[in-house]
Amino acid sequence: MTERYDAIVIGAGHNGLVAGAYLAGAGLKTIVLERRHIVGGAAVTEEVFPGFRFSVASYVVSLLRPEIIRDLELPRHGLEILPLDGTFTPLDDDYLWRVNDHWRTVRELRRWSRMDAEAYEEYGQLMFDMARFIKPILSIVPPDPARLDPRPWFPLARLARRFQKLPARHQATFIQLMTMSASDFLDQWFETDPLKATMAASGIIGTFQGIRSPGTAYVLLHHYMGEIDGAFRAWGIPKGGTGGVSHAIASAARAQGAEIRTEAPVAQILTKGRRAIGVTLDSGEEIAGGIVLSSLDVRRTMIGLLEPGTLDAEFEQEVRRYKFRGSSGKVNLALDGLPDFTCLPNAEDLEHLRGAVSFSPSVDYMERAYDDAKYGSFSARPYIDIVIPTLVDPSMAPPGKHVMSCFVQYAPYHLSNGRQWDDATREAFGDAVIETIAERAPNLEKLILHRQVLTPLDLEQTFGLTEGNIFQGELSLEQLFFSRPVPGWAQYRTPVKDLWLCGSATHPGGGLMGAPGRIAALQAIKAARAA
Amino acid sequence: MTERGPDAVVVGAGHNGLVTAAYLARAGLRTVVLERRDEPGGALATAEIAPGYRVPALAHTVGRLWTSVVRDLRLHEHGLDPIAPEVRLFAPQPDGRSLTLWADRARTARELRGWSARDSEAYPLFDQKVRSLSSFLAHVHASTPPDLKKPSASDALAGLKLARAFRGLGKKGTRELLRVLPMAVADFVGEAFETDALRGAIAARGIQYAAMGPWSAGTTAVLLADSAGNDGGAAGQTVFVRGGPGSLAGSLASAARSSGVEIRSGAEVVRVTSSGDRVTGVALSSGEEISSPIVVCGIDPKRTLLSLVDPAAVGPSLVWRAGNLRLPGVVAKVNLALSGLPTFVADGGAESERLKGRIAVAPGIDYLERGFDASKYGRVSEQPYLEATIPSLADPGLAPEGGHVMSVLVQWTPYHRREGDWDAERDGLGDLVLKTLDALAPGISDLVVARQVITPLDLERDYGLTEGHPLHGEPGLDQLFAWRPMLGHSRYRLALRGLYLCGSGAHPGGGVTGGPGANAAREILADRKGRSRG
Repeated sequence: MTERYDAIVIGAGHNGLVAGAYLAGAGLKTIVLERRHIVGGAAVTEEVFPGFRFSVASYVVSLLRPEIIRDLELPRHGLEILPLDGTFTPLDDDYLWRVNDHWRTVRELRRWSRMDAEAYEEYGQLMFDMARFIKPILSIVPPDPARLDPRPWFPLARLARRFQKLPARHQATFIQLMTMSASDFLDQWFETDPLKATMAASGIIGTFQGIRSPGTAYVLLHHYMGEIDGAFRAWGIPKGGTGGVSHAIASAARAQGAEIRTEAPVAQILTKGRRAIGVTLDSGEEIAGGIVLSSLDVRRTMIGLLEPGTLDAEFEQEVRRYKFRGSSGKVNLALDGLPDFTCLPNAEDLEHLRGAVSFSPSVDYMERAYDDAKYGSFSARPYIDIVIPTLVDPSMAPPGKHVMSCFVQYAPYHLSNGRQWDDATREAFGDAVIETIAERAPNLEKLILHRQVLTPLDLEQTFGLTEGNIFQGELSLEQLFFSRPVPGWAQYRTPVKDLWLCGSATHPGGGLMGAPGRIAALQAIKAARAA
Repeated sequence: MTERGPDAVVVGAGHNGLVTAAYLARAGLRTVVLERRDEPGGALATAEIAPGYRVPALAHTVGRLWTSVVRDLRLHEHGLDPIAPEVRLFAPQPDGRSLTLWADRARTARELRGWSARDSEAYPLFDQKVRSLSSFLAHVHASTPPDLKKPSASDALAGLKLARAFRGLGKKGTRELLRVLPMAVADFVGEAFETDALRGAIAARGIQYAAMGPWSAGTTAVLLADSAGNDGGAAGQTVFVRGGPGSLAGSLASAARSSGVEIRSGAEVVRVTSSGDRVTGVALSSGEEISSPIVVCGIDPKRTLLSLVDPAAVGPSLVWRAGNLRLPGVVAKVNLALSGLPTFVADGGAESERLKGRIAVAPGIDYLERGFDASKYGRVSEQPYLEATIPSLADPGLAPEGGHVMSVLVQWTPYHRREGDWDAERDGLGDLVLKTLDALAPGISDLVVARQVITPLDLERDYGLTEGHPLHGEPGLDQLFAWRPMLGHSRYRLALRGLYLCGSGAHPGGGVTGGPGANAAREILADRKGRSRG
């Protein structure tokens, strides 16, 4: 073997980089190995077309943990997050427009329903309180329910005690958030259809669920968690695209002494007596390591990188059972100008385009989009979340030009009736997205200079996201907390000693959060020190 | 007002109301049950839809009835005569094949070989898994959910007992239980079997009566709950009562009366009276008032809180929450009197032996999901999920010589229709069901002597089931256990001192189990004991 490290991290996605930074910060000699030529994983900025730079996959910072921003001093390493203001939902001849300015939103809602305008306030306060209550769960190591040792339960017991002290109404709301569908939950508060559809949409992003599927209400909280972290500006677009976040973390990791190698695809994790001792690269090079952390998903790591026969059959079966089910795609457009929505024609200022533009006109619309996917087709009329980063960060395109990022759901990884994702289905999918937008912004088609369409298969092949799931595995109730990724193995360890998982397939899951990378690294460091 | 009121008044003589009343009377409480309809029994009713043809009006199987209830109330001495056919479920497929689930899982597994060797092997293991997981749920069902806010010593004790049962599942079992409970039933059966027909036949029990499709999270919990505390396993229970479900109602009423319960039919409660935060009794539509320190509601919590109780006494917050209780009814009933036994063209469909249990029209997961899809948009599915029984096969007394009765549960038929109203669509629904059956058993329409269609609106009007929901509340993950019907009100005590809930809207939920009734009685008696001691 050529060289020896204390810790090897596989994959330089944001979680891998975060893990690398923490490991190096703890004094471990650390190397992060990345298959692609750039770091960032799904959080990358690439110049897809000359002069046009895109956040190719992940496009907003959702919940980057404030403790990570603080610990790694990310602002010093260049992290700058530009605010996104509001959500604009275009309709046939009207629109619904919510902005960060609470009173302005309430005035807008009054146009729709006085009752909703009133409820919005109460709802907002309640969600804020709930988010504050639940936030610690994002930093907890889930205990194994089958073990009797009480110590791993302490953090959860603390949360339970706090739960008991909550007012009765908050308790009931918490239970509902953990169990209800986003749509049912919102039905209790609101009657305005586009409002419910647009708010609920955040509950289904990246999952193979509809807004009426039980278990989707919880994600409504994420929005408010972001607000709590407001001082750190945890919501928004990173300057220079999402790659900006990755670069900041990579820079912090290097500053701590971590080495990062790109174009270094790992072929296999080396084991000896069911203990990880290093990795082999595609090139044949071997790298020895005291511990190995993989930010790849559980299937890629445990089935793809270990020599067959390393795992016992039962564990392997549980890994194979882990569900991915990618449900979304992405369309990136280079534009010669800005879309003009018929519901707000010739708008003088472009304020409504500075936030997100959400194609979520009604609960039925969202649900029909899901129905298509259930039977193996991409949605004829999908839910689309549009962001135009050039309006807040003009450096992303040549002067006067724009880039537009369209997150599209649903696009199932498995198509039915013998269809495959290929050039023809990819273009058909792209056309459906453009047509959907053009119905409400007819000038769009003429503005398109270039378009990049990413299907779930493209996400898998480019970014290593199995089955195109952007969260490294379905965020359904049975794959959360205790059971993520495998029941009994939610503590970042694996049955292979010294091999750890640190990606989104572990608690608390996906999104540009960094939490799995951080918690896994801290667990691994603790174990290394104990040894 | 009467000179001295009873110790307890039970509103509604459905099976749970009768069970609670019987337990209370056995403990020495002078108990009166008030029933709006002419007969006790609620959803347990036998209807004569043509001379000599007696059919289960609503519920048609009773295999979930708790054995403890049967034993405690000595229902056998009061005429209960259950019939458990060897066959549990027959599932004819549109392509002419069929599959049969038997009480004997080895027999089921043998027959499944024709479909898939893998599934044939997997079936006994799956059955074992369902039995093991649901046996733990039986413990949960029998216990009163804890008071999460201020757990008492008895809550801690109950918690320890549950923890012991939980650990009894073994390491693998405990992890598995937590994993599968919130799962979609389509995934639960999909992990075990590759045959879509088998998946559909089993998954159907996870969505029955629910406004959820097989891909909805939490439907596995519904399936497991259905097998809890009975011999259902993977195939599900199929138990009839000789004489029809009405005779079980008769046994329950007889058991209650023999313990001293007074049952008054035709007595509609229109108001629960209260003073401050205490109930004082009930008022009837006749104007009569009955005073009692204990009022137990067998009717659903939404109706109880929104139409019987003084809103000022319970406060706006609880009224708001009650208004948000989810009970979107999606089932209807079609009952048929037939001049002969229908013949199903699918394999084995001419063997009456296979038709003695439940007959499911649920040929695959997508079929069920598409039916659910229609209901989401307020439409009746053109391809409904049907669960039919022909109880006259096992109990010939229900029909004249040579004739038969068929009881068909139809899903999805949303109470909240976007277009048309149920009274105008009643015949259309009957026709749809016959058309669906005709495709599988050609000629069945010609055998029809009489037909009764009970729409979701009828369920509400005639049986008092709000929004036509037979379970008094959707069995979703958000309305279970310590939060059924609502967090803070899951311990059978509802809003006012002396007011209790004993119906399916309370833990452990709907179905002919007697569980909520038995649990509620236990809590009422505990409160009384606590008070006399204090």
